[in-house]
Amino acid sequence: MVRRSVHYPLTIMQTIPTGVQAAAPKVRSLGIINWRGLWTLYLKEVQRFVKVFTQTVAAPVVTTLLFFTIFTVALGGAGRVVGDTSFAVFLAPGLIMMVMMQNAFANTSSSIMISKIQGNIVDVLMPPLSAGELVVAFAAGGVTRGLMVGVTTGAVLALVVPITLYSLWLILFHAVAASLLLSLLGILAGIWADRFDHMSAITNFVIMPFSFLSGTFYSIQRLPEFWQVVALFNPFFYMIDGFRAGFIGSADSSVTVGIFVMLGANLLLLAASYRLLASGYKLKA
Amino acid sequence: MKAPAARQFQEVNWLGVWTLFRRELHRGLKMWTVSLAAPALRAAMMAGIFALVVASTLDVPLGIDFVAFLLPGLVAAAILERTFETTAFWLVYDKLEGVIGDIVRAPVTAGEIVVAYALSAAASGLLSGAAVYIALIPFGLGVPDSPLLALFFAFSGSLMIGAFSQIAGLWAKKWDHVSAAQTFVFVPFVFLSGVFFPLDRLPPAGQLLIQANPIFYVVDGLRLAVTGSGDADPVIGATVILTLGTVLYAVAYRLFAMGYRIKD
Repeated sequence: MVRRSVHYPLTIMQTIPTGVQAAAPKVRSLGIINWRGLWTLYLKEVQRFVKVFTQTVAAPVVTTLLFFTIFTVALGGAGRVVGDTSFAVFLAPGLIMMVMMQNAFANTSSSIMISKIQGNIVDVLMPPLSAGELVVAFAAGGVTRGLMVGVTTGAVLALVVPITLYSLWLILFHAVAASLLLSLLGILAGIWADRFDHMSAITNFVIMPFSFLSGTFYSIQRLPEFWQVVALFNPFFYMIDGFRAGFIGSADSSVTVGIFVMLGANLLLLAASYRLLASGYKLKA
Repeated sequence: MKAPAARQFQEVNWLGVWTLFRRELHRGLKMWTVSLAAPALRAAMMAGIFALVVASTLDVPLGIDFVAFLLPGLVAAAILERTFETTAFWLVYDKLEGVIGDIVRAPVTAGEIVVAYALSAAASGLLSGAAVYIALIPFGLGVPDSPLLALFFAFSGSLMIGAFSQIAGLWAKKWDHVSAAQTFVFVPFVFLSGVFFPLDRLPPAGQLLIQANPIFYVVDGLRLAVTGSGDADPVIGATVILTLGTVLYAVAYRLFAMGYRIKD
């Protein structure tokens, strides 16, 4: 990793006359919120994944398309329906949501963990940024990646599936709320994980099972009764269910309950990541 | 004081091959959550999801139940995936960390390096496959119809992919490259190899395309060995795998011998 050093222009040095006491620099006033700092960290978080967009945007799109292909081909095409929706139309929103969640999580978690491992997390901790500003900037970066991957995947899927639109508001709300939720989870995971295999354990044993078993691929009405109840306790289920309702107009459970679950979970995670960043847990000696 | 005598190696530096083999295998197994537990869990979830979605409505392909059809494919996919990740990943890691000199300067020939990498990747892949196999037993995966044939296809298939992995690892200069090779070449080949669906679900053009995919023969061969029924002739499958494997190893050997992107 090449670190650029700051070269002050010579003219600054030359303009200070020798033997004359220069006036002490004034303390810079940042206001209540350090907007410039917030924006800068956000931009860094976005440019970080845009720079390697084949890995962060194109790759998930390709993988999702492959999933879509195998599920529709393997499961027998036009004949299969979920309720009165064809399987492909049912599946597409779930896959879009799943890829958004995975990427929102990956963005914040990898950014923080890699900074910790490489030791440049100080670049984030030293500047005059409060814990709240850090949470917002990191989370906004994750949400941006989630939405960008989601829109791209959706656009490509729309070429092969007759995607219908029921409520744009439901779609937008769930896309943003789910990306935010996973970004916040990513912040927590990134702070906690010390090594790559810690992170891969969280991804493989927490994030993936929750997203795979959340009703992306099936309607929970197909599950045995016990598992239906279990599914109702999986927040990932509400994201996918509500998001899909925005496309096909029908849901497995109450969309209103889902919206409250989303809001509640997001508030809880916002508070948790704020507390963690403010305490300096695993970040500050 | 007498200068120490130059150490004599026989025709083959067995100790060198064994050491490199052990190091590479150990590296993978040290992170057993990544290399064994995660693939097992993922395969079990895929099997569960497919079983659930398919429920009872799907017509029965190949005379065996769809989930029974799917399970050996999942094992094959896990073996190949782990094999690919093992060598390519560590080669790039060594290059980026600057410790690739450890193998370039050691008294091992290109041939010995290729063999050690190939066997360690295959061992890693087979262990991962065994973990997946065990995880899939609750879904109905039983004792293979022909264990020897199963072992043959698992081993030869993972050796073939091991060569590809060496080439990809030598070629890649950054993580992006290795992940591009994986996402845009390896994974599509695996996903579109008949792991998840029988050949006759596709139109004739699609069937031809899949039959041109060498990974199809690994998956199909393993499925034949496990369930007793497959799409392709196993002799043709074995020929394709061994021929392509030989070609890929010749390339990998040449690259190591010339020090492609490792001796600068």
